Amino acid sequence: MHIMEGFLPWQWCIVWWLIAIPFLVLGIIELRSMMRKDREYLPLLGVCGAFIFILSALKLPSVTGSCSHPTGTGLSTMCFGVFITSIVGAIVLLFQSLLLAHGGLSTLGANMVSMAIGGPLAGYAVYRLLKNTTVNIYVTVFLVTAVADLVTYVITSFELALAYPAQAGGIPTSFAAFFAIFAVTQIPLAIVEGCVLALVFKYIVALKPEILIKLNVFSEDQITRARLQEGKVSPAEVRS
Amino acid sequence: MIRNMKLELITVVAVLAFIVVFLIISAGGSHAFSGSDDVGSQKISELTGHPVESFKPLIPQYEPPSGEIEATLFALQAAFGGVVLGIVFGYWLGQRKASATA
Repeated sequence: MHIMEGFLPWQWCIVWWLIAIPFLVLGIIELRSMMRKDREYLPLLGVCGAFIFILSALKLPSVTGSCSHPTGTGLSTMCFGVFITSIVGAIVLLFQSLLLAHGGLSTLGANMVSMAIGGPLAGYAVYRLLKNTTVNIYVTVFLVTAVADLVTYVITSFELALAYPAQAGGIPTSFAAFFAIFAVTQIPLAIVEGCVLALVFKYIVALKPEILIKLNVFSEDQITRARLQEGKVSPAEVRS
Repeated sequence: MIRNMKLELITVVAVLAFIVVFLIISAGGSHAFSGSDDVGSQKISELTGHPVESFKPLIPQYEPPSGEIEATLFALQAAFGGVVLGIVFGYWLGQRKASATA
């Protein structure tokens, strides 16, 4: 989903950088205050970050005959919110633009807005919508990750369409063209990513439920119910 | 132990379905499976009428000299994530075991 270096006019580079910077600043502030409060969260942040690293390194083939990578930002968004996720995403994007020539420094702003900010924002909206409902928590994780992944690519298409409106039909036509390249490819990948991260979430629930409750990712009630379903705890244990 | 394996099953089925679809599509041989970044760049050159080569980096950047080196760097990126993942899950598992026996 990277916009390659040089493929975005400098005016747009500046626009997207200006949008991205406030998120990064807020992310650093949040991260610092969280670390000062309780270092117990660090392992979970490590897991969330690790998944962004792993998944965005995997370029998977898709139905449209091109390759693309999942983003993995959904998990981090649910646990730590959009701002901290934007920092982790920015680190991955910086690595890829400096060493791999996937995306560049001038287009980093645009790439951050799509992968590290826009996708997580959409995922976060889904998460808030479903959080306090009776929807199964793993279904929520699936939807949040899949949406965060997909919206990342929708935003990339939008960024390119704004910069390169088609001569006939303008922005909508070229949006449709980029959408077909980026977002359609991404649909199967988003589904698989959603399944995998829901599974990972299940293991976090099994191993470290207290941290999820402490961060209020889900209520204690929801986590306990999920653990009951897995047969991890007996009903008697829950009551005591 | 984890008794309910429903989610594991769903994930395996999803991954298998993904692989089967890939095998069917790639058997046709009409797809290059190039990166969508490159396909996107080609689309830009199509829309603007400028060839892809005419888009010069605004900020000079390092480019891996070959696909091999690029693959190494991507593998390193994934390996780094994998290491962190293993450490944390191992740490949590140990914590759990220790608190269960205490």
